[in-house]
Amino acid sequence: MTPARAPGARVAALLAVRARRERLAMRVAVAAAVVGTLSAVGLAGLSGWFLAGAGLAAAAGAALLFNYLLPSALIRQAAIFRTGARYVERLLAHRAALLALAGLRADLFRALAERPPPEALRLSGGEAASRLVEDVDALENLLVRRPAGPAAVAGGAVAVALAGLAAPLAGLGVAALLLGLVPAAQAMRARLLDPAAAEAQAALAALKAAVVGAVEAAAEIRLMGLEARTADALATEAAALDAARLRFVRAEAAIAALVTLGAALAAALVLALAPGADVALAAGAALAAHAAIEAQAGLVRAATERARVTAGLARLDGLVEAGTPEAPAQQEAPPAAPLVFRRRGREVRLEAGGRLLLDGPSGAGKTRLLHALAGLAEPDVAASGIAISLGGVPLAALPPRLLARAFALAPQAPTLIAGSIADNLALARPGLAEAEMWQALHVAGLDAVVRARAEGLAALLGDGGRGLSGGEAKRLALARALLAGRPWLLLDEPTEGLDPATEALVVDRLDRWLEETGTGLVLVSHRRPPRVLARGTVLRLSDVPDASARRGSVLPA
Amino acid sequence: MTATTTLPWKPPRSLRQRMDVATLLFLGDSLAGVPFALGLAMAVHFLLQREWVGVLAGAVLVAVSGPLRAVLQWAAATAGVRAAAAAKAEARARLYPRLLATGWTAGRLAGEEAATAVADVEMLEGLAARYRPLRTAAVIAPLIVAAAVALASPVSALILLATLLPFGLGMALAGTAARAAAERQLAGAALLTGLFVDRVRALPMILHFDAAERVARQLESSTRTLAERTLATLRIAFVSGGVIEFFAALSVAMVAVYCGFQLLGILPFRVPEQLSLAEAFFALALAGEFYLPIRRLAAAYHDRQLGEAAEAAIAARLEAPALASPPPAPPGPFPGLLADGLEVEPAPGRRIGPVSLRVPAAGLVALTGPTGSGKSSLLLALAGLLPPAAGRLALGEAPWPEGGLLGRAAWAGQAVQLFPGTLLENIAAARPDASPAEVRAAAAAAGLGPLLAARGESLAIDARGSGLSGGERRRIGLARALLADRPILLLDEPTADLDPEAAAAVIARLKAEAGRRAVVVATHDPALVAVADAEVQLP
Repeated sequence: MTPARAPGARVAALLAVRARRERLAMRVAVAAAVVGTLSAVGLAGLSGWFLAGAGLAAAAGAALLFNYLLPSALIRQAAIFRTGARYVERLLAHRAALLALAGLRADLFRALAERPPPEALRLSGGEAASRLVEDVDALENLLVRRPAGPAAVAGGAVAVALAGLAAPLAGLGVAALLLGLVPAAQAMRARLLDPAAAEAQAALAALKAAVVGAVEAAAEIRLMGLEARTADALATEAAALDAARLRFVRAEAAIAALVTLGAALAAALVLALAPGADVALAAGAALAAHAAIEAQAGLVRAATERARVTAGLARLDGLVEAGTPEAPAQQEAPPAAPLVFRRRGREVRLEAGGRLLLDGPSGAGKTRLLHALAGLAEPDVAASGIAISLGGVPLAALPPRLLARAFALAPQAPTLIAGSIADNLALARPGLAEAEMWQALHVAGLDAVVRARAEGLAALLGDGGRGLSGGEAKRLALARALLAGRPWLLLDEPTEGLDPATEALVVDRLDRWLEETGTGLVLVSHRRPPRVLARGTVLRLSDVPDASARRGSVLPA
Repeated sequence: MTATTTLPWKPPRSLRQRMDVATLLFLGDSLAGVPFALGLAMAVHFLLQREWVGVLAGAVLVAVSGPLRAVLQWAAATAGVRAAAAAKAEARARLYPRLLATGWTAGRLAGEEAATAVADVEMLEGLAARYRPLRTAAVIAPLIVAAAVALASPVSALILLATLLPFGLGMALAGTAARAAAERQLAGAALLTGLFVDRVRALPMILHFDAAERVARQLESSTRTLAERTLATLRIAFVSGGVIEFFAALSVAMVAVYCGFQLLGILPFRVPEQLSLAEAFFALALAGEFYLPIRRLAAAYHDRQLGEAAEAAIAARLEAPALASPPPAPPGPFPGLLADGLEVEPAPGRRIGPVSLRVPAAGLVALTGPTGSGKSSLLLALAGLLPPAAGRLALGEAPWPEGGLLGRAAWAGQAVQLFPGTLLENIAAARPDASPAEVRAAAAAAGLGPLLAARGESLAIDARGSGLSGGERRRIGLARALLADRPILLLDEPTADLDPEAAAAVIARLKAEAGRRAVVVATHDPALVAVADAEVQLP
């Protein structure tokens, strides 16, 4: 890829493709916005022209000669047009934006999934994911506001023309005001709004961190009598946030006030330069200029949001960046056996269907080892002191996607998705039949729970699998791993949170399932009952590795 | 603690006054439309008379109205945010103590919950700064504008007021449906982003199962469906905006046509007024102001939705039953404690125990067991922060006091609350009346001597403890517990994050402390368990 690209160009290109599919809606929205703004400017101009004309005619005693029908009809038309056009604009601009962004979200997800896994996983974590959502929302706003630009230009052009007709100098003056408005707003944005926005964002993050920290240390605060000091400390953080918000809102209000100022100045300018001009025209032009500048408000707002969008695009570009494309995951079958662990001369060799318990104290890196097997973490021989090979190939030499075909992981944190129970199970493998799903749920001891729900497999779960208890979520993740049909099963504390009876049931069924399917097992568990699944083959990770080995775990442990 | 049924902030008097300032400034902005209209009318009048000085004077008046309104609008926004800051401060003052009270039970969830609560408080800003002042202004300002119009043309004022009737009807018809639709839209938008972020968060497992392409396709089709559904609700939601827009335009058009016909003398009916061109212009220029406050209010609708949702969420948090948190008992002696069949329930459905144990007035007791076996929860129960779910606790010969060991026990846990200030000040927070020498001694006893020697006694730390290792934070907590000089120490993993030498020093210190007071530790550390006088193993 060529490095000399504007930041954000790749995402902008993706967005352009998606937006092009909705271009009809967007074009109509732009046309409607232009009609709406012209109606607003026209309504103001016509009313002024009509009134002044009527006044002139009455003063000249020629009231009956004044053509009042056409202008008064036009005025009424403009009122109706303004309403209708505005409605159409809003609806269609939202249509184009929502649909284009629905597509873009899928594009971004694909791009994210194509990054080398460790990077993709870093980008999918908590804060990064929220950031992603904010950035995408900012793009949506950008599209919704797109019609404001052409509409403001059209309205401005008409106002300039009218003022120019009344007095050429007035036309120039209104044009200068219009042209100066957006750069002035942008300058104020850069000087006032952006710094305040950054400050407010940082202050909010600091306050959140402070409150979360205090909640975590709540026992100490209560027992050691630190309540008052903590309240003071939090109040200080909150005050900093409020001060930043005040600066931000003031900057925003100052930019909006710019439009108010400009509108009055434009009307005054036309009037002051009008002597000698047609009175009706001058009156109409003054009101039209006023309305035209007020119509710039949308454009000014879009201009002030531009910075946010630009920064967002640049961040999103980081996701889409081609990077080093992973070696294409060919149809090549992964090596399946033997799975060999070597540690300080000791070797544990598992043939197909073999079983192993990884043991050791907390923090010894057991979970991380499972994640390395699953292709979710870099295998780190230096930290764990364990060299692993699969089918004679060192783990590090196997691309993560190939590893994923050899191992199915039921992680410690279940990591479910919002959707139905079937959606969650279907992640495991395409083309799963319902009977297979029930079978897997049975082994995981969850079939009765699912059957008890009226919707069965179609029962909906919330974000991250909300709606299931901790133990149920774990068993669903277990069933999902069983369905993947991989030669090796990786289980991380599979029965944590289960009552003893259920635990015994699950262990028993798992044992039979492993036997029948000839699937191998690598198990991590502190609890006694599941440990029998390993049939006595144990690899002990006794030493706590240095801190670096604990970094980069991608699932919450 | 009594459950409170009031909303988080029914504005107290001082707050209402601040919000009133914003309202008044918004009203002032509407009133500042008068010089604009007056200037315009003057200029047009004198244009007709060809009196250029008068035209210029009118133009100047029009120009001056610009900065006047700009300043008023800016001041209104400022006053609004100031009122909002007061509202937020008040909500925080009531919310944060409640959040802290959940801290020792809900664990990691409590942290996420707290972050959400902080964000919710911020959502009150739009409500207090914009929506509420604008709501009052939207009721009063049109009347002020109509009164000003009436000075020039009472009939025009009547026309404006008359449009309010069909407008109100239209809003009643469209508004209710639109409001419901707008709420559905907000929910739909949340679903849209929620689905995306949910899949992004599940990416590790999606990659693991090689399901990225399938999920992407499903994501696209379901976000499209959601978008279509959102659009259907927008069709209704935008109607109320359309109604406002329509009457805003219509009122201007009607005043324009009426005034024009009036000037021409061709009205098909008699009216009790005769307008001059200046009066007509004055009325026309102000007609546009009539619906402006209502349009501004409509623009703040989103603020209202978010703000009221946040208000409800905050109220729900305040109403949720809080753990009983009695005032600390007067610091008293610790005659030893006895727990018999003690069970605790740190979270619904998670039971720990039964455990029976005895802690003598002096000695080292170690609670051991695998991760998740409930050592920390048991420690919290002994401290009095978790009520026993079953079993019996006794303090020496006496029944267990309501506040447990509050006031008697010093605590050092996994998380340490740090304050901006020096390291020694942080330690002294546990006992503000301690002498500097005592504070230094506690720091040294907790193993902070080398750090102080290396970086100086004035070593400043910030609220996040930047630059401190996990072990150093723990030592600060331990130093506090030692300094507090209470008869029992409750310590959660006191040697975690420490290297073996440092851990050995801490263990020696704890063993020494156990000679003169009770020390209860929850630990995995075999070296610490080895020196304990008693070990209580949790399954």
